[in-house]
Amino acid sequence: MIGRLCAALSGLLTLAAVATAAPAVALEIVATAPSLGALAREIAGPGAQVTVLAGPQQDLHRLQAKPSMMRRLRDADLVVAIGAELEMGWLPVAIASAANPRIQPGRPGYFEAAAQVDLLDQGRSADRAQGDVHPVGNPHVDLDPVRMAAVGQALAGRLAQLDPAGADSYHARAQTFAAQVDARTVAWQAQLAEAPGAVLYHRDAIYLLERFGVPLLGTIEPVPGVPPTGRQLSALKTALAGRRGVILYVPYQSPQAPQALARDLGWPVVQLPLEPPADADGKGYLDHIGRWVAALASAR
Amino acid sequence: MRQSLSLGVSCPTLSSALLAVLLAPGPAVAANDPEIAEMRSMLNQMKAEYERRIAHLESRLAEAERESARSVQESKRASQRADDAVNLVRAESRPMTAPSTDPVAPSPAAGSGGVLGALSSGSAFNPQIAVILDGNYYHDGIEGAGSALVGAAYQPSRLAPHTHGEEATGEHEAHSHGAGENGFNFREAELSFTATVDPYFDAALFVAIDGDGEWELEEGWFQTRGLPYGLRMKGGKLLSDFGYINKQHPHQWDFVDQNLPYLNLLGAHGLQDTGVQLTWLPPLPFYTLLGAELAQGDQERFGAVVDGDQRALLADNAGFLDGENEGPRLWTAFAKIAPDLPERHALQFGASYARNNQHQEVHSHTHAAPAHDAHAGDDHDHDHDEIVHNNALAGYADIWGIDLVYKYDGDGAEGHRDFKFQTEYLRSTKDLSIRSSPHPEALGASSDFTSDGLYAQAVYGFAPKWTAGLRYDIFGMTNEVSGGPTDQDFGSSDRWTLDLTWNLSEFSRLRAQYARNDILVEPGERERFDAFYLQFLVSMGSHGAHTF
Repeated sequence: MIGRLCAALSGLLTLAAVATAAPAVALEIVATAPSLGALAREIAGPGAQVTVLAGPQQDLHRLQAKPSMMRRLRDADLVVAIGAELEMGWLPVAIASAANPRIQPGRPGYFEAAAQVDLLDQGRSADRAQGDVHPVGNPHVDLDPVRMAAVGQALAGRLAQLDPAGADSYHARAQTFAAQVDARTVAWQAQLAEAPGAVLYHRDAIYLLERFGVPLLGTIEPVPGVPPTGRQLSALKTALAGRRGVILYVPYQSPQAPQALARDLGWPVVQLPLEPPADADGKGYLDHIGRWVAALASAR
Repeated sequence: MRQSLSLGVSCPTLSSALLAVLLAPGPAVAANDPEIAEMRSMLNQMKAEYERRIAHLESRLAEAERESARSVQESKRASQRADDAVNLVRAESRPMTAPSTDPVAPSPAAGSGGVLGALSSGSAFNPQIAVILDGNYYHDGIEGAGSALVGAAYQPSRLAPHTHGEEATGEHEAHSHGAGENGFNFREAELSFTATVDPYFDAALFVAIDGDGEWELEEGWFQTRGLPYGLRMKGGKLLSDFGYINKQHPHQWDFVDQNLPYLNLLGAHGLQDTGVQLTWLPPLPFYTLLGAELAQGDQERFGAVVDGDQRALLADNAGFLDGENEGPRLWTAFAKIAPDLPERHALQFGASYARNNQHQEVHSHTHAAPAHDAHAGDDHDHDHDEIVHNNALAGYADIWGIDLVYKYDGDGAEGHRDFKFQTEYLRSTKDLSIRSSPHPEALGASSDFTSDGLYAQAVYGFAPKWTAGLRYDIFGMTNEVSGGPTDQDFGSSDRWTLDLTWNLSEFSRLRAQYARNDILVEPGERERFDAFYLQFLVSMGSHGAHTF
């Protein structure tokens, strides 16, 4: 019995890495974040099957690998991740456990949004006294619609590589999405022209602020991943007293500090998910950005 | 700069350099390299692709100013890559594994599909290295004997004496996992190295260094990345996928110490062996993992082999105890099933079985000297009141287990309202017969030695960064010898454990733990004691991912 088992094992070994990216009728796309799910639906169109691993209220950096993720990744033709180490706590192990050679990093079935655009906060010192820092750059690119349009173009190229027959359609859809982004960006620019600035809990919306030139007045956590002490909060309050702004935080961040700071400063405070609804498409994504823009514009 | 391209470097480096140069703006068609005809055709292909891209970019440039700004950035990035690649060529050096952020496949299509790799600072160091330090302050009410005692609860299947020198039945396992003294203990520093070897394999190495500086190889394996049909193969020294907690390293546990069933049935290291594993993720509607392992069978508890010192005790016996069989002697099979639940919930059921084809142990019993007159011919020392006889038993060992894990990802910050419940049941049966004995009539008598155990634990995030845990574990609900002349059930050992963990960050953790122990030491003899731990765990280096 052992001999037969050994023979079977060595036979399997010789089969290693022969599997090639041969998409079935419909491309199966697995996105880590709802924003990327929305982008994938927009660019790949109705012919593709898109599933999203994380819900809009979940912290992509602290998520844990679940067996059901591995099952979904097993048959995926393409995994679309934000990348830049945002999902490093779970995605590498989920991909490895999915036993799917097509979606390993380095293969055409692995797509990282952050690898397609330039990143902010790049090249900071790799010193964890500065908190949970990631020297490759800030990964939260999906809150910038213009970068997302660029990611969409790259995604169209990748889809065309996986499914050459649909190439024209993917490129056309990416162009359409980019045009929609352009149209709405003009309106948002007008809306945010006078925005006085915002305080964030974590540097997770800086791409949006940077895109529209809205000043980042401060972050509630002093360094990434470390909650503030009372003294740090009162220092922030002192620094911001007399100014105008808005405080934004996301559902998985503690509401106490943002609420208290807003009360003390007399600012509005808005809790908004970082991600659009799980079933959003391109329009759903842009509506989600619209809500963030409206929140930034509500500063007083 | 461009001449350097004609240096004799290996093909992948050169072609990726060429690709990068081609992606760069300006008259990049500089690779007038007449030496490699193959390169030239690829070059032409790339050139065509490049021209198509230029045309595409130009149309977009016309479209919007913003778009144009972005493509300049893209060009800069490409140019940077070209410079990097050329520098690489110039240095005539080539990394063992190219950083995954480089343009990967030297195929013309790669240009239009964007960057294939993952952005990661970890990939700059290959392999990724992490070090976890694990130390504690321990105190129990029985002068520090408790931390070893929990792993030596009485069972009729006698524990093999540990090679670290202590006599008799393993009451002192001077071992890195768990056993500590009253006071400060440095349990271990765990070094881990993980890397992708090549397109075919991942590999990992885990080494533990205990407080005395003793090194121990915990795991060292390779695993396939490219097998089709949901198959994966792993080989080397590895922690078995038997059960649920078996493959976790001590720093992943929710409590300082291992639970009673694992400690007593599988030993401080669990099922850790050298062999191969094959798993299959079939295309069923929900997650199902089937796997089997074949391993050497070198185990402390589950398939022990009598060593030389013990063998010496059998010198005057009738019968003969075989030596160590050749491996592999151990095999396992396991299945894990996880239904598809809403996003915050995760549930997994598992069932596992393992068999070790060889297990040996030595049982000693005493005879009072006067009653021993019947054995008049024996050459025992009659000056003593008692005579010690050693029987050697041999046979095989079976163990099976079921497990259930449920995790809830709470909506609070930093693990607040996260919940985890985990339970496992293990049952071990050893079918052994007497192979060597001072009593020739006893040879061949066989008995089943059955012991089981259960643990159930729950951990709840009651505040951001803080969790509280409660565990109940019991060993020996069945703890019996049967099928032989002397059937007997010996009773159980159990324990309640409470802990409080403060996760200061993703990289450091402090934990306080209190346990109320009731351990069966010998038949009819119990030790009841309290044990208290204060533990620190800090992690340096790349933070890797943990599997479910």
